[in-house]
Amino acid sequence: MSTTIPPIAAGAPEALPYDDARMPLPLVQARTRRFVLRVIWSSTAFLVVSGVLGLLLRLRQGQVIELGDNFWYAVMTAHGLGAFIAWAGFFLMGITFWVLMKVGFPVRSFVLPELMYWSMMAGVVGIVLTTLLSGFGGSWVFLYPLPFFSAGQWSNTVTGIFAGSVLLAGVSILAYCAAVLQTCISPALQARKDTLGQRVGLTFGFGLLFPSRFKTDRGRVPYPVLPFAVNAVDMFLATLPFAALLVLNIVQSVNNGFSINVLLAGNMLWAFGHPVVYLLLFPAAATYYYLVPRYAGRDLVAGKAVAVAWLIALTMNLFVWAHHLYMNYPDGENVQQTLGTIMQPTTYALVLPSALSLFSIAATIYKSNFQWNVASKFLIAGIISWLVAGLQGIINATAAFQETLHNTLWIVGHFHNMAFLNMGLLIFGAMYAFLPELMGRGWWNERLGSIHLWGTIVGAYGWVTCQMIQGLEGAPRRWAVLPDQYLTLTHVSLGFLALLVAAQLVFAYNLWTTLRRSPFDDPTASFAGGTQR
Amino acid sequence: MMTSLGSGIAIGYLIFVVLGLIISIAILWSTRAGRRDGGQGVDLEKAERAEPWWGVFVVGLLAILLGLTIWQAPWFTENDDPKDVQVKVTGIQFGFLVQPTQVKVGQDVEFAVTSKDVNHAMALYNPKGQMIMNVQAIPDYTISRSYRFTEPGTYEIRCLEFCGYQHHKMIYPAFQVTA
Ligand code: HEM
Ligand SMILES: [Cu+2]
Repeated sequence: MSTTIPPIAAGAPEALPYDDARMPLPLVQARTRRFVLRVIWSSTAFLVVSGVLGLLLRLRQGQVIELGDNFWYAVMTAHGLGAFIAWAGFFLMGITFWVLMKVGFPVRSFVLPELMYWSMMAGVVGIVLTTLLSGFGGSWVFLYPLPFFSAGQWSNTVTGIFAGSVLLAGVSILAYCAAVLQTCISPALQARKDTLGQRVGLTFGFGLLFPSRFKTDRGRVPYPVLPFAVNAVDMFLATLPFAALLVLNIVQSVNNGFSINVLLAGNMLWAFGHPVVYLLLFPAAATYYYLVPRYAGRDLVAGKAVAVAWLIALTMNLFVWAHHLYMNYPDGENVQQTLGTIMQPTTYALVLPSALSLFSIAATIYKSNFQWNVASKFLIAGIISWLVAGLQGIINATAAFQETLHNTLWIVGHFHNMAFLNMGLLIFGAMYAFLPELMGRGWWNERLGSIHLWGTIVGAYGWVTCQMIQGLEGAPRRWAVLPDQYLTLTHVSLGFLALLVAAQLVFAYNLWTTLRRSPFDDPTASFAGGTQR
Repeated sequence: MMTSLGSGIAIGYLIFVVLGLIISIAILWSTRAGRRDGGQGVDLEKAERAEPWWGVFVVGLLAILLGLTIWQAPWFTENDDPKDVQVKVTGIQFGFLVQPTQVKVGQDVEFAVTSKDVNHAMALYNPKGQMIMNVQAIPDYTISRSYRFTEPGTYEIRCLEFCGYQHHKMIYPAFQVTA
């Protein structure tokens, strides 16, 4: 069995031996491999399901197929949660542990990761059953009090079970956050003075800011640790008010006399609903930090500025939620209006982690001997989408523009641009980069990978651009059937979606053939998954 | 068709996208030089020292945008002056109660928007199909938003906050603006 972790990248610090041994390192590696592969297969299955559901939604909007009104909204609810949480979120949660291990932070205990896995699986089953079978169609944000005003389409019991299922996904996220912190704030930091304060400081970038006060024998803490750890703290804190809201929903589903203030419920929802976007973005950033240097053949170009950026992210992320409530400015409710005024600048501040990350990544690539392959091309496309969708984000953060954009298809185009073309392309890139080392066998066919790349880019950009134009023309979001004035662009977008789907079929074929035919070039890894168990 | 603000947003956005793409392509192109010299021909320390200045530049741009736009937030542009007419719009699954249903061009109209059950929103579309107003209808609360019509015709109100399985049918088709 191989005991060394493959080297990270030329110039990057070598991975550490595992010195917190409750398990010998080779065993940890093998289990991490199996665990990460399990998350990858499960989340990819959820992508297939959610993708098909998304397609049904758009086909109905284009009036190509018929779907019952309530069923459309139930499908929309399942699709939103499925694609966002159960595919992208879950996948990134899984590969977190692989990236962390590669930079010398092996998992210290599998209790929390397993809790993360199983409670996500149970939550997803509950969500699928309550939406697709029992007709819960409150949308993925199920804005209170809608779950209790179903107009006869679903019962309060179904609402209760749905809220419980989402709560399970929340537990999964909490377990993930705790597991990441347990893995990072650890002996692997090799703090010179090994106190808790030193460990916490090193984890959150103080070693970069105050190198004489926070010393580690590793020279410096690897950059990917920063976004992972920041996200873990924020998601942990942000999930708590949301969990409380879910519990209150469950209480009301049992006792109909109970109710909460609508504005308060909105604030509780978005105190989570904003940070949850970063459950995708921050681990994605960390993975770029890890993979881009590998292909550029040099360390990430970063330093104090990036450390400052992530401290801003750590703090501001928790104080921006009201930008989802800009349009809720009831007469005389000065608190909500003041929150809106404060949270436009705090939201702008959150541009910095992205802007500085993009600078660092660009500087890392600039004039490097960059290694072009399918994985690295997916990463580049994802990074450019980060920029493009980030610009849309600045527009969305501007309260004055919201009367034109709020709840239009522009928003839907924006978040698909961000989620599918930034995080999604990173996820595909990570599959091309990591599956060979996870499975110990190379991809069957690189050429098919290129077809997948270009089909996905052209198909997805064509589709989200149509949605964004429709939105600027006032097309409402979450309408099962759109007014006829928008039909042409919906049909155009269906053409692009056909290309997108075809590209994913090519990918599926390549993956399938890889699993069946590709020879193991690293026989030590074969026990970790695949067919030759 | 887009409103003028909509087209303005589109143009501003496209300018930055094009700039961003040009810079991206230039950086990707530079890896050709990197291939020849093995990636050695660049001073990375200098890039690292430049990074904080890039941060300052971005903060500067955002500060300008903030200064230009924050005063245009809907809660700042709405004033308490008395208006010529008040139109009460109440959302209720799955329709709008509108009172009165007709106003005149040139009048200062205040829409007082609320809801009887779940969250809805009053989005007003002019005869050309452009969305010219977008106001949340929140149960137990009222939002007042004013508008002065310049064109007569039949306007349509559509619900823009998801409110249940007939959300897309929640339309008030005939709000009249007379000359
Ligand atoms: C396979 C390609 C996909 C298609 C065809 C698709 C299509 C759609 C459509 C038509 C809607 C409804 C839009 C509306 O009128 O409001 C929607 C909503 C949504 N999609 Fe996708 N989508 C896809 C992939 C994704 C991905 C990858 C993600 C996230 C990672 C995602 C997340 C969401 C979310 C969060 C919603 C909002 C649901 C709601 O409003 O309750 N989608 N999608
Ligand atoms: Cu409504």
